[in-house]
Amino acid sequence: MAIHDLNAFLHAFFKAHHCQILSNDNGVLSIQLTEEMDKVLMNRPFYWHYMKKMGYAGDPMKLTLITNPDKRQEKGEWIHFGSPRLQQIIRYLQDTKKYTKLFQQLSPNKNTPLYPWLVTNIKISYQGKHKRDELFSIGLNLINGVMHAKMMDVLNTISLEKTIADYCYTLSPMIKMESGFNRIKSVLDQYIENQEHQWAVDSLQALEEETKLLHHFYTEDKEDEMMKRELQEIQERFQPKILYQVINGGLFYLATETS
Amino acid sequence: MKSIYIDKDDNFINELEDKLKKNTQLSSWELFSMAYAAEQTTMVPNFTGLRALEFLPHVTFLEHQIQTAERVVEQMNGRAILADEVGLGKTIEAGLVLKEYMIRGLVKKALLLVPASLVNQWEKELNEKFYLPAVAYRKNMSWEQGNIIISSLDTAKRVQHQDTILDLDYDFVLVDEAHKLKNHKTKNYQFVRSLKKKYCLLLTATPVQNELLEIFNLVSILKPGHLGSYDSFKASYGNDRKTMKQDLYLKQLVQKVMVRNTRKDTGLNQIKRHIETIWTEFSCEEAEVYQALEESTMLFPSFSKITFLRELCSSREACYLSLKKLLEENPELESVQGVIEKIEQLPHHQKAAKVVELINNIGTEKVIIFTEYRATQFYLQYYLKQHGISSVPFRGGFKRGKKDWMRQLFKDHAQVLIATEAGGEGINLQFCNYMINYDLPWNPMRLEQRIGRIHRYGQEKDVFIYNFAIRNTVEEHIMKLLYEKIHLFENVIGDLDAILSELSIQNMEQEIEQIYTESETAGEAKIKLQNLSAIIEAEQQSNLEEKRYGDT
Repeated sequence: MAIHDLNAFLHAFFKAHHCQILSNDNGVLSIQLTEEMDKVLMNRPFYWHYMKKMGYAGDPMKLTLITNPDKRQEKGEWIHFGSPRLQQIIRYLQDTKKYTKLFQQLSPNKNTPLYPWLVTNIKISYQGKHKRDELFSIGLNLINGVMHAKMMDVLNTISLEKTIADYCYTLSPMIKMESGFNRIKSVLDQYIENQEHQWAVDSLQALEEETKLLHHFYTEDKEDEMMKRELQEIQERFQPKILYQVINGGLFYLATETS
Repeated sequence: MKSIYIDKDDNFINELEDKLKKNTQLSSWELFSMAYAAEQTTMVPNFTGLRALEFLPHVTFLEHQIQTAERVVEQMNGRAILADEVGLGKTIEAGLVLKEYMIRGLVKKALLLVPASLVNQWEKELNEKFYLPAVAYRKNMSWEQGNIIISSLDTAKRVQHQDTILDLDYDFVLVDEAHKLKNHKTKNYQFVRSLKKKYCLLLTATPVQNELLEIFNLVSILKPGHLGSYDSFKASYGNDRKTMKQDLYLKQLVQKVMVRNTRKDTGLNQIKRHIETIWTEFSCEEAEVYQALEESTMLFPSFSKITFLRELCSSREACYLSLKKLLEENPELESVQGVIEKIEQLPHHQKAAKVVELINNIGTEKVIIFTEYRATQFYLQYYLKQHGISSVPFRGGFKRGKKDWMRQLFKDHAQVLIATEAGGEGINLQFCNYMINYDLPWNPMRLEQRIGRIHRYGQEKDVFIYNFAIRNTVEEHIMKLLYEKIHLFENVIGDLDAILSELSIQNMEQEIEQIYTESETAGEAKIKLQNLSAIIEAEQQSNLEEKRYGDT
C-alpha cells in the first residue's frame, strides 16, 4: 500500500482537497489550488494576511508537478520521493490526518448493526547502533475483543464514509477506548518479547566497549566533568531503545464482527 | 530484554477520544489511508543500507562516496575522520551521512563548523544537492532555534556564543578542515571536544602532517581511549609519524575511525592534467634592470634582493612599489633611485603580452590567472582590458559575499579571473579548466591548492595548466631545478606534503629564500637547489615502495 504511483497519489491528494485538476498528461500534473491548499503549500502567509485585511478574495496559485523524470525540462516542479515538496505534503498528511471516525457503507433493507473497532497504525522503531522501523496496523473489536493484525488491508476492501448509511445503527463499545488501546500495546509488547534482539545485544556490546575505552583514556580523575559528558554521549549513541509511535488511528464502525 | 528501554506513545488515545467527543479534525478515509501510505513510503525497514540514495535521484554519486557514507553509518557508528585527498568530495560524503541520519530520524540538531570562506558554499551544497534545510549563521540568529546551522569555528567559539553552544545537545557535529584541531592545547580543540555531540565527522585532507600525536588528538575527539591515553600512546609509539607505517596494529586501529580515498583507487585520475611551461625572455631593457638589481652590491635588508628579483619577473609595478617603499624606509639607499627610474621607463611586461597571446589562442574558454602580487593583479586587469579581455579580481581578503559575487561574475560574465595567492583556498571553480600560473609560488603546497580549485570532483574536462617563467632569471632556476625535477605538476600533493614533513622541511619557501640569501653567487644557489630537489626525489622513490598509512 506504500506509494507506488506518485502521480496517482498526488492526483488523489489534490482531488480529496477539492482542487481542480487542470491537466494530467504523461506524468505532468497541473492543479489549480484552493485557498486552503495554497496556504498549506505555497508558503506565503503575508500575501493571505494582506488579502484578508484588505478584504480581497485572494488568488490561489496554480501548481505543476512533474513525476516523469523524462519531462523534467518542462515548466513545473520535478517531484520525487526526496523532494521538499513531497516532504511537505507528507508532513501535512501526518500532522492533520491522524484521527478519524468512519462508517462502513452498506445498502441493507433491514436494520443492520455496526460494530465499533479501534484501529491503530503504529510504527515501532528499533534504535541502537543503527535504526529500523516496522509498521503495524491493528484493529480491535471493542465488543468482543477480537483483534486483527492487518487491519488496513481489510479496510481497503470496503467502502468507508464519515456518515452512517441508512438502516444502519451502531453498537456501544463494551471495552473502553483506553483499555482497548492498552490491549493493542500489550500485544505489541508480546511480539517484542518473543523476538531475538541481536541488534540490541550488539549495541550493548558496543556501549560496553566504548565505555571501557573511555575509562582507559582518563588515567587521572581530574577531567571528571568531561568524562561524565562523554559517557552520556556514548549512552545516547548506543543504548538500545524501542519506540512506539502511533501514525494514525480512529474509531471504525464495521459490519463484521471478526473481520 | 530488560536492558532495552521502551518508550510508548501514550498520548494518542486521549487525543483520539478528545477529537471524537468534539467531532473535529477527523480525516476522511481517503486522506487517512494516504497518510498511512506516506508512512510506509518514508519508514526505514532495514538497519543497513543508505535510504538517502532513493531520496536524491538528481545527484550522481561516485562509488567511493557511497561506500564511504555506508561505512561511516554502518561500521563506524557515525563518528569518523573523512580524510579523502583534496577534490574527491568529502563534502558529498558528509552530506550523504547527514541526510541518512535525518531520514532515519536520528539527527535533528546539527552544527557544522567550516572555514569562514566556505560557509556559503556548504549552505548552497546542502540545500540544493541534499535538500537539507541548513542555514549559515548570521548575526543575532538563535543557536537554540536553528536545526542545522553552519558557522565558522571562530564565530562559534566567540565568548558571546560559546556558552550557549556548549549547553546545547547536538545530534551531529561536523568540522571541516579538521587538521586545525591537531593540537590538543588550542582553544579550537578544547571547544570542539567540549561540544555535546552524538555523531561527529572530522574532515581533513591531511590527517597527519608532522607529528603522530596529531592523529591521536583527532581520534580522541571521536573515540577517547581508542588509541589509549595520551601518556600510554606517547610511550608506545613516540611521536614519529613513520611509526604509523611500520606498526600494523596502530594502522588498523586508525582505519577503524578513518576513511581515506585516494585518486589512485577511485579512478578519478581519468581527468588529465596537461602541463605546459611557457618560456618568455626579458626584453633588453628589462634584462638590463634585472641585471642591475642582481649585481647591485647595495646592502639590502636580508631576503630583499631575491624578493625584488621575483617581483620584477612578475611585473614592473610589483617591483616598483617595493623599491619605493624600501627607499622611503631607508633614505640612505640612494642608488635605489636609479633603478626605480629605470623601471619607470620600461615598456609593457613580456609575460603580460604572452598572456594575451595565450588567451586569444584558448578562444572563449574561461581562464584563471594566479599571481603572487597584488600590483601584478591590478596591472594584468588593466592590460587585459586594453586588449578587450574581460576579467574580475579575486583576493583572499574579500568578504564572503564579495567572493561569491566575484565567482558568479566570472561564471556568467567575465572570461578571466585574476586571483592572488590568498584566493587559492576555499573557492571551487570546476566550470573552468584553464589555469595560468603567472608566477610560481615557492611553496609547492600552495601550487597544489591553486590547481585543486579546478582539478577536483565535478570537473568534467581535462585540465590545462600553463606555467610562466622567464629565462635566465630566478624563475628558470626554480622551474628547472626544482619543480620539473620533482615532477611537481604531475604528482598529487598529498605525497609531497608527507615527504616534506619527513624531511622536516617545514616551509619550502623559507628554505629556498635561505638558499638564495646565503649563496654568494647564482652558481652556488643553483647547486644548493639541485641538492634540495635530489633529496626530495630520493624520498619520493623510497615512498613509492611503501604504501601510505590509511590507504588500503
